[in-house]
Amino acid sequence: MAPTLDALPPEIRERLREHRVTRSLRRTSRLFFDTTDFTSIDYGDIIFIDDCYYLVTGYTKEGRFGVDDQAKPWVPRVQDLATGKKQILKLVFHETFDITMGQFTISYYRNPEKEARVLELVQGLPHFMQGRAVLDEAGNLVRILDIINGRRLDKFIYRNNTDHEEYFHQEFPFILKQFLECIEAISLLHHNGFRHGDIRRDHIFVERETNVFCWIDFDYDYYMPERPFAVDLYELGNLLMYLTVRENFHPREIMADPGMGEKVLNTIEPGDYALLSKNRVVNLQKLFPYIPTELNNIFLHFSLGTNVFYDTADELHDDLQGALEKLG
Amino acid sequence: MNDWRNVLIAVDDTPTSENALKYAADILGKLPAARICLLHIYPEPPPGYYSSGKSRDDYIREKEEKAAVFIHRAEDILEQTGLDRSSIITMFHMADHATISQAILDIQTAEKYGTIIVGKRGVSKAEEFLFGSISSALVHHSKDCTVWVVG
Repeated sequence: MAPTLDALPPEIRERLREHRVTRSLRRTSRLFFDTTDFTSIDYGDIIFIDDCYYLVTGYTKEGRFGVDDQAKPWVPRVQDLATGKKQILKLVFHETFDITMGQFTISYYRNPEKEARVLELVQGLPHFMQGRAVLDEAGNLVRILDIINGRRLDKFIYRNNTDHEEYFHQEFPFILKQFLECIEAISLLHHNGFRHGDIRRDHIFVERETNVFCWIDFDYDYYMPERPFAVDLYELGNLLMYLTVRENFHPREIMADPGMGEKVLNTIEPGDYALLSKNRVVNLQKLFPYIPTELNNIFLHFSLGTNVFYDTADELHDDLQGALEKLG
Repeated sequence: MNDWRNVLIAVDDTPTSENALKYAADILGKLPAARICLLHIYPEPPPGYYSSGKSRDDYIREKEEKAAVFIHRAEDILEQTGLDRSSIITMFHMADHATISQAILDIQTAEKYGTIIVGKRGVSKAEEFLFGSISSALVHHSKDCTVWVVG
């Protein structure tokens, strides 16, 4: 049973009473010291951790398992009742699940300790979300995260409603420059023995004022002892290609595009498809001839036709740096 | 270049490993001065291992008890080709914060082995990218030694 609100200091109780969340609540808030059973903590409840009273004001959402915008009850949005600062809490959720990559299945799990260690490592670095990890009363490793004032990268690249050629020539060089710094950031993790674990287009946020790209969500992990960073590398490649052409191209998208159609599809050879994603074309120069060869050659390292893989994020970074210089 | 007669044979319990060993034994049995190490490297415990209540020592014990069986069989194979058992040593190691191929190369460097012998599984490109190929990694990253990859 949750402790009563009598345990709250008077000034906190007063702020709670006046808060918009509490005013709209048709029940009394509850106070939690133990976050083990996070599903029992609800909107309007208070989590006490690290000498702070955090009021739950909402939940973060994310596309999961093909379903868009699912609320994550273990990741509440909160407000510190003493300072008014809005933050995100990440509560311990031991989840394991399988992800399919090509014909292979990889077992993933959430690793709160890894995320805590990454947060410690990247303290003050601009390309990473910031936060700290503390234990709740029951010893759960809760991560207290700063909110990034910005938008998801996959939304950012569509912000100007430009067609692809204009986007590629006018906007993409800036995006690529920022993305290079994101690869450097991933390289830092790898050099310290950490994987990001969940590199995807909505796990980079673009800060509204500075346009700095910022990685979020570090708690996924997987067990691949001989190639510990291969999945991160593959996903960096996927993200690079997505940033370049702003969507994934399978035969159906090529056929549906009036500028491509059967004529372009007929040029696609088996080696032009992705190494681990069925029927996704990575030889994108065949679709967009103005993509320079230096950049396209990087894509081809992620193709079925490749004989040479990237082993490190540094190798990818160096090739991309060269391609960026060619873009001008 | 290290003395090529100092030979490190990386073994596990797969048929490809045993094939590589038999191939090596055929050649090494004819060399009077070969010094051979049968090495088995195993990965760190998988996630969830500790939460089952087991310890790192339990994991090492489990792995090395299993490895002792096929390492002993490997010694027999080498001995049958005429090699003196006193010229063969055996080692088990966990790849601690390293890949298996790195751990093999660390031992090769530290003990100055001039030849590494390893079996080849024959994996697809995608499998090699994602899960790695120990033989490919050894070929790419080895120094001061020859790598025999037996298919």
